[in-house]
Amino acid sequence: MQAERPVSASRSSGMLGALVTFFVVLVVIMVIALLNAPTMGGPRVMNSLQTYLIEVRRTAIPFLVIVGAAAIALGAVAATAVYRVWPNRRNRQDMFTAYAFLAPYLLVSLTFTVGVILFALYISFNSYDIFTPPQWIGLNNYRRAFEGFTNSSQRDFLQSLYNVFWYTLIVVPLQTSIAIGLAVLLNIPNRFRQFFRTVFYAPSVTSSVVITLIFIWLYLKNGYINFFLANLIGFFGGDFKTINFLGDPRGLIQLFVEAFGGRIPSTQWYLRGPSIAWMAIMFQNIFTTAPTFMIMFLAALQDINPTLYEAASIDGATGWKKFTSITLPLLRPIILLVIVLGTIGTLQVFDQVYLATQGGPLNTSLTPVYMVFREALGTMGPINMGYASALAFILAIIIFFFTYIQRTVLDRGTELY
Amino acid sequence: MTAIPRNTVVPTNLAQPYTHHDSRYYLGLALRYALLILIGLVLFTPFILAGLGTFKTDAEIISYPPKFLPQNWLWQNWVRVWNTDIGSGGTFPRWLFNTAFLSVTVAVLQVLFSSMAAYSFARLNFPGKNAVFNFMLATMMIPAAVTLIPAYVLMTKLHLINSWFSLILPASVGAGSIFLLTQFFRAIPKDLEEAARMDGASHLSTFSNVILPLARPALLTVFILQFQGMWNAFLQPLLYMNSPDKYVLNVALSIFQQQYKAAWNLTLVGAMFNAIPVLILFFIFSRYYIEGVAYTGVKG
Repeated sequence: MQAERPVSASRSSGMLGALVTFFVVLVVIMVIALLNAPTMGGPRVMNSLQTYLIEVRRTAIPFLVIVGAAAIALGAVAATAVYRVWPNRRNRQDMFTAYAFLAPYLLVSLTFTVGVILFALYISFNSYDIFTPPQWIGLNNYRRAFEGFTNSSQRDFLQSLYNVFWYTLIVVPLQTSIAIGLAVLLNIPNRFRQFFRTVFYAPSVTSSVVITLIFIWLYLKNGYINFFLANLIGFFGGDFKTINFLGDPRGLIQLFVEAFGGRIPSTQWYLRGPSIAWMAIMFQNIFTTAPTFMIMFLAALQDINPTLYEAASIDGATGWKKFTSITLPLLRPIILLVIVLGTIGTLQVFDQVYLATQGGPLNTSLTPVYMVFREALGTMGPINMGYASALAFILAIIIFFFTYIQRTVLDRGTELY
Repeated sequence: MTAIPRNTVVPTNLAQPYTHHDSRYYLGLALRYALLILIGLVLFTPFILAGLGTFKTDAEIISYPPKFLPQNWLWQNWVRVWNTDIGSGGTFPRWLFNTAFLSVTVAVLQVLFSSMAAYSFARLNFPGKNAVFNFMLATMMIPAAVTLIPAYVLMTKLHLINSWFSLILPASVGAGSIFLLTQFFRAIPKDLEEAARMDGASHLSTFSNVILPLARPALLTVFILQFQGMWNAFLQPLLYMNSPDKYVLNVALSIFQQQYKAAWNLTLVGAMFNAIPVLILFFIFSRYYIEGVAYTGVKG
């Protein structure tokens, strides 16, 4: 705040600016709210503005009241802000320019992020199929998600969580360490480094659809991977039976147990571990994401001061010692970032599942996002937007939880350096 | 996030000047390069196999044991795929056009809107700046799965299903791009703008005449990453576009694969058609790609 601002003239114009701002904010937010208002009549209410408004009046008054209160609060904040900066011409100009420049971002993101999330929260407490009015059913959708604990025929969501936990547990550590390994290997003189970096990264720029399709083909019973394994094992004198990779529901732990003559019945599916189909998808995922994260590690490696290594060599440190006591500690922030990004990504795996297995065999590659998709489009049974939204929220909470844990655990380590 | 501007040139040759390079050193170096070449080959193997597969006959592609090279090179497969017509305007060139059109539009809008927002964050002081910036960072944490369903309902309600707007609008701004550009703008020295401002230039003209030309590499990075992101998008186009003349390549490919279950040679041609443009773009602009990924960890 400037002390010497001319008071008398600017107060009134500051008041005017504040009022204008207040109403602009109010109107903009209410328009967005109207567009997002939960109408129950389905697409036909959009026939004309009038039918839409009648529909909104009939169904969405509580929603609009809440948003309206929020809009008044936001408007008041904005008005105060304007009132404060108004007397100074330069500050005033800066603020208007800034919000004008931010307008496209704020409009889109308030509608398609904040608006739709509020709406999702609302319908997650409803039974809703787009065509008929939402029915308030309280926490039933959330309860239904965890019904599998008591009723094993309703275990789809629990099994999908079980699957992605295995997925994250295996994929994230592997892709992170492979990425570090590749980056260290690539940390060579400049010209070659750029060449290999480009070559290594190239497969990762293509779409996951392309990679998944190619891998489905490679995984076929008469495909290259079976052929390769048969030759490899045959070379060592072993006998290889071709595997139907993407259609094999046998779990990792189950395979071990069966190798020792045991059996895990299907009622204890949660003891079976990730299935062969699921691990095949994991392998493909690691294949495409490791080079991406390698790029991040490589950039971080370039920032490490080479004199550190020289000093360590003079002290007689070997390559491995240098790696564990210089490289890894200095990479720690990036490792944290890569693990967090990897976890967020793996918990939301969808494309590969949709294309390669559709959740099968025996639900061993079912994932939460695939279930959200399935319930929302009604590809198996009726459309249930409410249930799908509830699942999405549960998944979001799990993702936030893991991100938070990782940050606290790994950040504590970072402080040491 | 790593936001350290890396203007300082760090010598990266780790070989120390005082070390005597004996034969063991060169052996190690040779092994390292051999390993690098091997890894590069392994990473490319699926593409090489798929590329060769596109020239095989329908029978050859699923025969066991698989042959590395096609018996005779069937260029017709590519023509067959190019001439695909599944009715209602669903032709291959159309899908290619759709994908390219969407990707370019989204990338242009992102560059425009993100650079505007980034200019506000990097150069202007205004009340609420920190709140908006933190809001933006928070939205980066929201999993896409949560917005999927309500966004779909919203699009249905707004009658935007099968309209380009359903894909373009939500993708026209991006927190990742704004973040990247904000970091870049902050690293640009202020002297030039100060001079321009002294001469009475408005924010708009400083932005378009001083900042944007200086930020060309960063803008190109955003353009390329967003182009690739839209080109590779799958879930949204799958949900929003359900008439054959509106498909993008990815969606068309998935339908392709379900229709021609056994004709893998044709599906692979489709996959190659999809991959080649992005790969070409990548090889031309690989530097910008890699900088973008390295800075933000955001791929598309």
